[in-house]
Amino acid sequence: MKRRSWPLLGILAFGYAFLYVPILLLILYSFNESRLVTVWSGFSTKWYGELLHNQQLLDAAWLSVRIAATNATVAVVLGTLAANALVRQGRFRGRTGFELLLMAPLVMPDVIIGLSLLLLFVAMQQTIGWPDGRGFTTIAIAHITFSMAYVAVVVRSRLAQMDGSLEEAAMDLGARPLGVYLQITLPLIAPALLSGWLLAFTLSLDDLVIASFVSGPGSTTLPMVVYSSVRMGVSPQINALATLIVLIVAIAVLIAGFTMRRGPNR
Amino acid sequence: MAVPADRRLLEPWQDPKAAPYVRIERVTKQFGDVYAVDDVSLNIFKGEFFSLLGSSGCGKSTLLRLLAGLEYPTTGRIFIDGVDVTQVPPYSRPVNMMFQSYALFPHMSVEQNIEFGLKQERLPRRERAERIAEMLDLLKIAPLRKRRPDQISGGQRQRVALARSLAKHPKLLLLDEPLGALDKRLRENTQFELVNLQERLGITFVTVTHDQEEAMTMSTRIAVMEAGQIMQVDTPTAIYEFPTCRFVAEFIGSVNLFEGKVMASEGNEILVEAGAGFTIRMRSYQPHPLGTPVTVAIRPEKMRLCAQYDPEAVNQIEGVVEDIAYLGDVSIYRIRIDEGRLVEMTLTNIQPRTEQALTWEQKVAIEWSPTSGVVLTE
Repeated sequence: MKRRSWPLLGILAFGYAFLYVPILLLILYSFNESRLVTVWSGFSTKWYGELLHNQQLLDAAWLSVRIAATNATVAVVLGTLAANALVRQGRFRGRTGFELLLMAPLVMPDVIIGLSLLLLFVAMQQTIGWPDGRGFTTIAIAHITFSMAYVAVVVRSRLAQMDGSLEEAAMDLGARPLGVYLQITLPLIAPALLSGWLLAFTLSLDDLVIASFVSGPGSTTLPMVVYSSVRMGVSPQINALATLIVLIVAIAVLIAGFTMRRGPNR
Repeated sequence: MAVPADRRLLEPWQDPKAAPYVRIERVTKQFGDVYAVDDVSLNIFKGEFFSLLGSSGCGKSTLLRLLAGLEYPTTGRIFIDGVDVTQVPPYSRPVNMMFQSYALFPHMSVEQNIEFGLKQERLPRRERAERIAEMLDLLKIAPLRKRRPDQISGGQRQRVALARSLAKHPKLLLLDEPLGALDKRLRENTQFELVNLQERLGITFVTVTHDQEEAMTMSTRIAVMEAGQIMQVDTPTAIYEFPTCRFVAEFIGSVNLFEGKVMASEGNEILVEAGAGFTIRMRSYQPHPLGTPVTVAIRPEKMRLCAQYDPEAVNQIEGVVEDIAYLGDVSIYRIRIDEGRLVEMTLTNIQPRTEQALTWEQKVAIEWSPTSGVVLTE
């Protein structure tokens, strides 16, 4: 490029700054000596050390990760099944209704999802005795109900792009429908499954509203702990924790991007 | 007509005792209200190179998919090698198909693509390796064995697709526009290669094409299709020289059509009145009652230029050159013979163009022999 367009570069810089300066500040202040989050008084890793001894925070983080992983795995299975029905089953009876109902959680306010699920869980406990109290199971179920829709959207677009004659060719070469699915369809939509899984994992990890409705005593997720501790004044430990999460997410995104790029016919 | 014994081997459809290898019996395929294939019956014999020819949407691809088992007929039955396969799923048919898009599996190497069908058959590893080697050798693609489909050219992909569908040693190979994605030069070379391969392996080929030249070069027989129906099934020569209806005559090559009424019948020739003072004498292979409306079809290359107009001569007509299209090897002349009619004539360019006598607005006389055309009633 001969002439640099300074105004455009300026806008670009501003955009990136808007997105990433807060995160950089957060990382920076996680290495702050001071007890006050907003005052810099020297470099230190002591908050990381304290974080490792904060049992409440660690328990919440571990619970969140377990919920997120369970949620992502189940959501990928259910979402993929739904996407298959939408793309491969032709125009079955009630297809439009199915599609609308599947996509509804994407636009439904979290408050409503949380409240309605809470009512459902309470009613179920009273009539059939399950789920017994609220905790891991109820939060996971609640997260699966909306994550599934996101997975379905991602997998569906990948399936729709896939050349249908590939599956026909496999069948013509002697593969039965299950064999076709395992040997041809799954490997080809694998990148979408992976990004669907990561998406569902992230959605679950940072959900505060729905989890607040359907959690019970002794099952406090990480966002809930962070939120309540912020109200009582932020401890730099939260910065340290956030830095670790940013690190993990960055690695996951890199891996996802790398596999997507390596995948055939991107 | 008696057929000599050796011709029966080459043209099994001439032999009433030969059993067809593929028998399609009154097959209809409906998609909603549309009849994609409409009451089609067809016999295909062992070792044939059979082409389904038609414009897009004529039902030829649907017919091929019915043979592959990718669609099931609404009514009618399909037999392959004497076995009713009408409801047999594609993975249990002794048939393989080469797809128009080639449908190579993008996440597998060339070798793995070829191996796919063999794996489904649960062939032992050693046998699979032998077959792969045989196919790589047959189609001369051994250097590509480790490549992926997106790393090879269109022509190479076509060979891999062919290798993959031949690896299972099918009795019947279906090819959907096998040369459609190749450029013209490559297409011509591949045509001959495909025919050689078919003759060498003795497999029955059924191909679908919209390219008449391709069908003419490769096929033992051609079925011309239109609107889900078969208009004519015959050898390329017969389809070109003796079309049985106007549609086939006009679909294959170009043709001059003269409409008229049968005026007289003399031996095996008839006289057709085609406008005021214009009588055509034609050889007729079937009797036509006087007064029947008929169409006389004559190909442009069957026309001859006469030195001088002779009103008494048979099938001679005068006109003015209106258009000349120079194609290199031949030239097409459009000659106006009266107000509403143009006759097309092709002449081989024996002399360089500058030496040619014929030019625009020139008055010429042309003629054709009574045996060089056909009389159509439909």
